[in-house]
Amino acid sequence: MLSDGEAEELLSFLTLEMRADVKGRASEYVLGLTGNRDGCRYLQSKPDFLKALVTLTCDPSIAIVKDCFHALINLSADETLHQPLIKETDILAKLLPKLLDPEYVFADRICTILSNLSRHERTCKEVFRALQEQNIGLDRVVEIFCTEGFNKKASLHYLGPLLSNLTQLPEARHFILDKDRCVIQRLLPYTQYEQSTTRRGGVVGTLRNCCFDYAHHEWLLSDAVDILPFLLLPLAGPEELSEEENEGLPVDLQYLPEDKKREEDPDIRKMLLETLILLTATKVGRQIMKNKNVYPIMREFHNWEKDPHVISACEKLVQVLIGDEPEEGMENLMEVEIPKDVEEKLKELDAKEQEQMEKDKQESEKKPNESPEGLER
Amino acid sequence: MAAPGQGEDSDDAMDEFMEKFKKEKYKNAFNESNWEEEFEKVPMFMKTAPESIDPEKHPDLACIQSIIHDDDRTPEEQARGLKDEGNEYFKEKNYKKAVVSYTEGLKKSCMDLELNAILYTNRAAAHFHLGNMRSALNDATAAKKIKPDHIKAIIRGAQCSMELRNYAGVLQWCDEGLKLLPTDKKLQELRATADKLKREADKDARKAKVKAKKERNEKEALLAAIKERGIKLLKTKLSRHRGSDSEDDDGDGGASRGLADLELDGIGPQEATGARVYMDEQGVLHWPVLFLYPEHSQTDFISAFCENSSLMDHLVVMFGEELPPWDTERKYQPQKLQLFFEDPEKGHLYQVDLEKSLLNVLQHQRCFVKAGSPSFIVLVSGSPFSKQFLSGKKVQRSK
Repeated sequence: MLSDGEAEELLSFLTLEMRADVKGRASEYVLGLTGNRDGCRYLQSKPDFLKALVTLTCDPSIAIVKDCFHALINLSADETLHQPLIKETDILAKLLPKLLDPEYVFADRICTILSNLSRHERTCKEVFRALQEQNIGLDRVVEIFCTEGFNKKASLHYLGPLLSNLTQLPEARHFILDKDRCVIQRLLPYTQYEQSTTRRGGVVGTLRNCCFDYAHHEWLLSDAVDILPFLLLPLAGPEELSEEENEGLPVDLQYLPEDKKREEDPDIRKMLLETLILLTATKVGRQIMKNKNVYPIMREFHNWEKDPHVISACEKLVQVLIGDEPEEGMENLMEVEIPKDVEEKLKELDAKEQEQMEKDKQESEKKPNESPEGLER
Repeated sequence: MAAPGQGEDSDDAMDEFMEKFKKEKYKNAFNESNWEEEFEKVPMFMKTAPESIDPEKHPDLACIQSIIHDDDRTPEEQARGLKDEGNEYFKEKNYKKAVVSYTEGLKKSCMDLELNAILYTNRAAAHFHLGNMRSALNDATAAKKIKPDHIKAIIRGAQCSMELRNYAGVLQWCDEGLKLLPTDKKLQELRATADKLKREADKDARKAKVKAKKERNEKEALLAAIKERGIKLLKTKLSRHRGSDSEDDDGDGGASRGLADLELDGIGPQEATGARVYMDEQGVLHWPVLFLYPEHSQTDFISAFCENSSLMDHLVVMFGEELPPWDTERKYQPQKLQLFFEDPEKGHLYQVDLEKSLLNVLQHQRCFVKAGSPSFIVLVSGSPFSKQFLSGKKVQRSK
C-alpha cells in the first residue's frame, strides 16, 4: 500500500479547495483502491480518507462526485468499513437530507450506500437512528418510494432493499405495521412492479420480515391490508382454471389473462413462498388461507417451477394447506417446542434434502455444451 | 367603586323602573293563543327563513338581510356574510339556495384565501347533496388549489370521485389527505373501499374479456365447420357493403372480420327467429330450417334440424299424426310432398331428394343458406297450385 508520506500527500489533494485536475486524479486513485478488498481494508484504518471522500461529494465537478460516490459504495459493501464510516465521518448526516431532494441527481447512489450500510443489524440500528435524528420518518421514505417520478433523475429503486434491511429491526417493523396508518398497504402493489427486480425484491423482503410478527397475521390477512393476493399474483400464471376454481379465488387472482407472467427471479419466488409459509403459522392464518382456496394456484405453480429450492418451499406450503390441523397446544407453529430427538431427525432429513438438491443441480449443470467448438456461450 | 353621582342616579332610575313592573300591566305581550305564530316572526326565533322577505311583514329580517348585502362593507365582510347565509340555508337542507349564496360570496373575489377555500368547499358539499357530482368535484379541486392543506376539501374530493366511480381518483385524493393526516380514519376507510371496488371492477373486466374470447372461439369454430362442409352462406347486399368498409373494433383483424360476417350472415345471436345454427359436442351441426307453404301463405319452422337427419324424417313428424289446420283439403301428406330450394342468383328451383340428409342437400352447388336459415318451398305433388306455381320457372327435378 502507500507509505505514510505518500498517504499524507494524497490526502492533501483531496480537499474542496484543491485544483480540479489534482483533485480529480486523487479521487480516481482512491476509487481504484476501493476496487479490491485489500484497498478497502487499508482505508479502514485511514478515517481521514473516508472523511475526505464524504466531503468531496459536494464538489462542483460531477466527475469527482461520481468517483467519490462510487468509492463510498464500494467501501460500504464491505462490512468492516461500516463502523469507521458511521463513526468517523458524518456520512449519514450529510447524505440523508439529500435523499429527500427531488432534484438531487445522485440520490440513487445514496440509496445504494444506505442499503449496504443497513444490511447488518448493528449499523442498521445507526441508520435508523440517524433517520429519526434527521426527522426523516419511515413514512417519508415510504412516501418517496411510492411516488412515481418523485425524482426525475433517480429511480430510487434501492429504497426497496433499504426498507427490507430496516425491517430487521422491530422498531421499523412496528412502524410499517401501524394499524392506524396506511403504510404497508402502499407497498403491496410493488410486488408486481415489472421495471425493477431490485424494487420488487426489496418490497417482498420487507413483507417477509414483517410476517415474522405473527401477532399481526390476522390483520395482514384481513380486508384492511389483504396481503394474500399480492403475494400470490407473482406466483400465478396464465393457465386457465375452471369457472368453479376461479370463483373460489380472491378477486385479484380470478380470470387472469393468457399473457400473465410469473415472477422471473427465483430468489424472489422463494421469498414469496417463505412469506406465505410464515402466514400459516397461526391457526387463524391457516384457516383464512385454506378458505381462500389458493391451492389451485400452488398446484399450477408446482407444475411450472424448475428450481429445486423453490419447489421445496412450494411443497412445504402445500403440505400445510392440505394437511390436517395440528393437535391442541401446537396450533401456533412458531411457538411449538420440538422435542430434542425429533429435532435431530429433522436436521438429518434437511441435510439429506440439501444433498439431494445439490446433486440435482449438478446433474442439470453437467449437460453437454451445445455450442460449436471454440465459441463461448 | 362606581362613580358616586352617576351610580346612585342609575340605581335610583333602576329602582324606579323596577317599581313600574309591579304597578303597571305589561302591554304588547304575546297573546296566549297566537304566541307561537308571533314567535316565528321574530328573526332570532325563526325556525325557517321565509321564501322571500317582505319588508312589510318582516321588517326585522329585511333589515338584517340588507346588512348582509350592504355594499358599504369590505369584500371580505360581504363574502363572510354570504358564507354564513349559505351555511344557514345548508342547515335547512336548502342546498340550491346555499349554492347561490356561496357563489355570490366567491364573486366578491376577496383576498382571504381561507375564506374562499371554505366557500368552495361548502359549495362542493351543497352540490354533493344535490347530486351534482361533477360540480362538487370541481369545487373541491378549486378549494384544494387555493389551500392545499384544506382537509375538508380533500375528503369531499375523494367522496365525489367515489360517487363518480373513479376509484383511481379516490386513491389519489386519499393519499394526499393521508400525507397531511396519516391517521385519519375517514380517509383510510375511503381508500380501502375504493381499492376494493377497483379490484372488483378489474376482475369484472378480465372476466368479460375471457367470456368474449370464448364466444369468439366458438363462433370461429362454427364458421370453420360450415366452410369445411362446403356449405355456402349468402351475404346480403348490405353485409357485402359493411364487410368491406367496417373497422375492426376489437383490433384483432381477421378474427373479428369473420365475426362480422357471421353476424351479417344470420349466424349472430340477434337473429329474428331467435334460433341460430350451432355445433354440438360431437361436432354435429344443427340448423334452424324454414318451411314455406306458398299455397296457403304459411310458414313452419324447425329450430334445431340435425344435419344428419333427412327431410323426410322431419316431414313424417310434422305431417304425420295431424295435418296442419290450414290444410283444408287434407292433401299435405308426407308422401305427396315435394320440396324445393331456390337458387337466389338465378331464380331456378331445385327439387330436394327427401331421403338425403340435410347436410347433403345443403352441399348442393346451387344451394345458398340465406340469413342463417336454410328454407324450403313445400308443394303437393300434382296439385293445381303446384302446377301453376312451377310454370314459367326453371325447375331441376331430383333424380
